[in-house]
Amino acid sequence: MKTSSGSPTNKKQVKSEGHPSGDDRFKALDRTMKRFNFEKDSLLEVLHDTQEIFGFLSDDLLIYISTHLRVPLSQVYGVATFYHFFTFEPLGKHNCIICRGTACHVKGSDVITQALSEEFAVPIGKTTEDGLFSLTTARCIGSCGLAPVAVLNGAVHGKQTPQSMITLVKDVLEQETEVLEQGEAG
Amino acid sequence: MTLEKLERMAQRERQRQEKFERRIFCCISTACLSAGAGQTINALQEAVDACHCKENDVEVVQTGCMGLCSRGPLVRVEDKSAETLIYADVDVDLSQQIISKHVPMRKLTDESIPEEMQELRENLKKARRRKRLEKHILGMDSPFFAKQEKIVLRNVGHLDPEKIEDYLAHGGYSALRHVLQNMTAEEVCDEILRSGLRGRGGGGYPTGLKWKSMHQEESETKFVVVNGDEGDPGAYMDRTMMEDNPHQVLEGMIIAAYAVGASYGYFYIRGEYPIAVDRIRRAIRTAHRNGILGKNVLGTDFNFDAAVRIGAGAFVCGEETALIHSVEGKRGMPRMRPPYPSTSGLWGKPTIVNNVETMANVPPIINRGADWYANIGTEQSKGTKVFALAGQLTNTGLIEVPMGISLREIVYDIGDDVPGDAEFKAAQTGGPSGGCIPHEHLDTPVDYENLSKLGSIMGSGGLVIIDSTTSMPEFARFFMDFCVDESCGKCVPCRVGTIQIRILLDKIIAGSGEPEDLNKLEDLCHIVKDTSLCGLGQSAPNPVLSTLKFFLDEYIALIPAQEPA
Amino acid sequence: MSGVSFNEAILELPMVTLTIDGKKIEAPANTHVLQVALKNGIEIPHLCYHPELSVSGGCRLCIVEVEGYSQPVPSCGLACTDGLVITTQGERLYELRKNVLDLFISDHPLDCVICEKAGACLLQEYAYEYGIKETTYTPTISSTLYQDDNPFFIRDHQYCILCGRCVRMCDEIVGVHAIDFAKRGFETNIATPYDGPMIESTCVFCGNCVQVCPTAALMPVSRKDKGREWELDHKTTICGYCGVGCQLEYALKGDEILYAQASPDGPVNGELLCTKGRYGWDFVLSPERLTRPLIRRDLAYELGLTSEPWEQPDTSPLADRQPKIEDYFIPVDWEMALDLVASRLAATVNEHDPDSVVGLASARCTNEENYLFQKFIRAGIGTNNVDHCARL
Ligand SMILES: Cc1cc2nc3c(=O)[nH]c(=O)nc-3n(C[C@H](O)[C@H](O)[C@H](O)COP(=O)(O)O)c2cc1C
Ligand code: SF4
Ligand code: SF4
Ligand code: SF4
Ligand code: FES
Ligand code: FES
Repeated sequence: MKTSSGSPTNKKQVKSEGHPSGDDRFKALDRTMKRFNFEKDSLLEVLHDTQEIFGFLSDDLLIYISTHLRVPLSQVYGVATFYHFFTFEPLGKHNCIICRGTACHVKGSDVITQALSEEFAVPIGKTTEDGLFSLTTARCIGSCGLAPVAVLNGAVHGKQTPQSMITLVKDVLEQETEVLEQGEAG
Repeated sequence: MTLEKLERMAQRERQRQEKFERRIFCCISTACLSAGAGQTINALQEAVDACHCKENDVEVVQTGCMGLCSRGPLVRVEDKSAETLIYADVDVDLSQQIISKHVPMRKLTDESIPEEMQELRENLKKARRRKRLEKHILGMDSPFFAKQEKIVLRNVGHLDPEKIEDYLAHGGYSALRHVLQNMTAEEVCDEILRSGLRGRGGGGYPTGLKWKSMHQEESETKFVVVNGDEGDPGAYMDRTMMEDNPHQVLEGMIIAAYAVGASYGYFYIRGEYPIAVDRIRRAIRTAHRNGILGKNVLGTDFNFDAAVRIGAGAFVCGEETALIHSVEGKRGMPRMRPPYPSTSGLWGKPTIVNNVETMANVPPIINRGADWYANIGTEQSKGTKVFALAGQLTNTGLIEVPMGISLREIVYDIGDDVPGDAEFKAAQTGGPSGGCIPHEHLDTPVDYENLSKLGSIMGSGGLVIIDSTTSMPEFARFFMDFCVDESCGKCVPCRVGTIQIRILLDKIIAGSGEPEDLNKLEDLCHIVKDTSLCGLGQSAPNPVLSTLKFFLDEYIALIPAQEPA
Repeated sequence: MSGVSFNEAILELPMVTLTIDGKKIEAPANTHVLQVALKNGIEIPHLCYHPELSVSGGCRLCIVEVEGYSQPVPSCGLACTDGLVITTQGERLYELRKNVLDLFISDHPLDCVICEKAGACLLQEYAYEYGIKETTYTPTISSTLYQDDNPFFIRDHQYCILCGRCVRMCDEIVGVHAIDFAKRGFETNIATPYDGPMIESTCVFCGNCVQVCPTAALMPVSRKDKGREWELDHKTTICGYCGVGCQLEYALKGDEILYAQASPDGPVNGELLCTKGRYGWDFVLSPERLTRPLIRRDLAYELGLTSEPWEQPDTSPLADRQPKIEDYFIPVDWEMALDLVASRLAATVNEHDPDSVVGLASARCTNEENYLFQKFIRAGIGTNNVDHCARL
């Protein structure tokens, strides 16, 4: 039996066919893999880029990567689950990361996490049911001088309190409902 | 050819900088950025624009960390005809005051200047009359600055990390040039050995020895890896170095490659540090363009190239064998040593792994000589160490101090004591692998041996101060939680042992412990320490053991009194 | 396929002399201390080490004292060098090993009284040796996944000690890599992608992972609830499926085969078997297996062995009953069967010529049988028309 990915000489033309679904994002993923010449050791980099492109790692994506890099699927799965940076569920539209590094812990970051979790009824590490807000934690984002630190939608906020964080998140979520209402009205 | 070109670039940049009457540096490192440095630097630039100064009068420069992160955003004003000043907590309003104080506004009769600018000019004039500014000046002779000695961080906060010209103008790549022109690989190894430089990644292994043994390996292919994983939560020395002076780290790496005979290298950088990744990538690109990387480095017959690999949230990947697996795209599980990576590393080829700070120490050592370096520090620990000072202190931030300085000086002079009514309780070094040092040992000199004697470690440079409000058993549990999370799961003592330690700690903290639980806890800690495969497991019990040693009373207080039988 | 001798022969490694427990031992440089010790009859407990696989170093039981080292060192990854002085037993080692075992047992249900592996489980053996009745810690089981999604083996994760032998076997020797470690820390488990059914993975069901598993985490389905290790007889034989001739042993309870495994000292295959050798023996006690000679009913009628003439049975799916073997054949005794074959063969040769006969032998027969068969065809019948199916 002859398989298309069998011979290394024709692999490039085969690889650029893209995904049968026609999803254009796969083209970006193809480019990444091509940049690394489909080397097996680029798995981690490819997973990084995949998460960036798609937001999270679905099983479909892992299979796609596995066949193209010719790394056994069990290994791809093993690697992806080893590193906590990778997520298998889509994040919420708005994301709040609370630092639980040493410096932030000493300054009470767990209280902030707890308060947010209660206020917005979302378990730590999870997303609200409406998919609007996720609450996650990180191990030190390197701004320890400003502990306790939180990252809301990519912006770093230092020296926070539970109350100040709740206010920040509320503001963001309120804008969301306004947009929604406007959308309905218009 | 290349050399001359670089020399010209350096010359031109130096002349360009010297032309300015005054230069205003604004820190845009992560900590300051999150404190609003983005607005600050914009405000500074706008205000400067509004002043309509003469050409070459003033320049606003974005730069790296100046150290006192807790007071960010920081702005430094260097004036040819006045004393250099650093301002803390600079917001938009303060920026205008700074500009109005330091930058002469050109009188303009031309009424055609745009309206907004006129408003800003009015504001600037008013700002001059406000008196807030004095309170924000940080004295350069205050202990925070005076007690530090900057070798690694010397240029951090003085140059624009995105411009190779700026690094060149500060003498960058002169060490590499010297090495390539005047030294054999062996001489470089010897020089580093003589300087007494020890690995800054935590282990403290003499860098020169490591390089030498790798130099002697016979292999066509060898690799250099810079360890920028910086997993200790609560530390950001390596990040600052990579973000704020990437070329210095790169230069150290190239020198290392030359010394050990490597032709390819990797930066392994934590996934949580996107800016560091970006800056290092940029540095590699510009170095490439300028003949510093690639074929025939600086016109010699030495070839070397480098790439970046990004970590993905695993502390254990800082361990060198796990790191190597991770670079190879595998699960970051450590393996037994020997063979050491210098014999069999990446893809089975000889590989050296060195910490970012270790690499950053190399150019200054080459430039100023091993003897100069060996004069700094203590008998066995030479040079300086960068610490990320955090926790319950008035001054927190990034500091570089000579080895052998006492903890007391760091806490009380540099850190300016614990704020408020609370009292100093312990200094935690080495993060989850380190221990807590109590008040009575504050006079201990900070070096590799003395910290180990106290049951802690130097670590990579996290230094967290805890005050009397923190419960030590809970603090120990915090680290144990971390180790449980980060254990790779390969070996039993660490995979199961850390869980069992945490179960015991939970029980004790919940108030249902029994007196013998403390013995059990201590015994278990020793087993995990003695039988774990890698450094993570071997040092995971340190926070518990050191708190058991120095704060036993807090544990005992949690054990309910036994009813007499 | 013992690793040591292979290396010695091929690579001609220089020899070194080391001392283990006072005994001077010669070993090829760069072989590992544990390997050499075991070869020389010195027992060191080990769970993750397996002679056919690469070194892991995860179980920490094989620690020994090395002269000049303050800390004990795992012997499975320790290269032999000249003048190395090793002690394999002692109070400190005993205590450390016992404590490590204690940690193992804290994450392993003490089901020995109902476990089929009892008696062949390495963890049980060491627990006995080190006198561990139960864990001194809080029993905490990391994974309770139970997967019996295929007809060959059951994966019961609660018994898994994560020695990684199965993963290395599947990757390094079988070359399939159907399973790998997933997650990390205490949550680590041995997983197919997404913990999905084995059948959906790339597994070829060679069962070599089952063979090397030291515990009951991987167990043949066929032996479930059928008795415990000491009730079984192990009979060594040669696999009949193909010309490789792997050595294997059947574990028997009475006349019933409960499972097959490779016998570790098999000269051709070591501990490895393929799917057929390991799982393809269920025909042995099958009720459908032929145990007597049969002759066709039409022929039997012709010969007067039966009074019923033969009719083609109804084979349509709509028929009341599906035809059985008896509808085509009737059993006879050996004498009659052989006589019949002999007379018909002789008649054919006489009537036509020897080349009108062809002999096809089977790979299921032994070499001796096949030899006799071709001799019979060549010398007895007088033709070279003889062949063999080579592989099943
Ligand atoms: C669990 C663990 C985590 C480590 N993390 C780091 C790290 O984040 N950065 C680092 O440079 N070294 C780290 N190390 C040390 C490295 O293994 C290695 O010793 C170091 O990178 C060598 O460089 P050096 O000689 O320059 O210190 C870690 C070690 C262990 C055991
Ligand atoms: S000590 Fe911990 S991190 Fe290191 S190999 Fe063992 S389980 Fe993994
Ligand atoms: S049966 Fe064979 S192929 Fe399947 S997992 Fe086990 S070793 Fe791998
Ligand atoms: S299933 Fe068996 S062989 Fe595989 S890791 Fe678990 S105990 Fe070891
Ligand atoms: S500990 Fe929170 S930013 Fe470092
Ligand atoms: S046999 Fe050596 S560590 Fe398991």
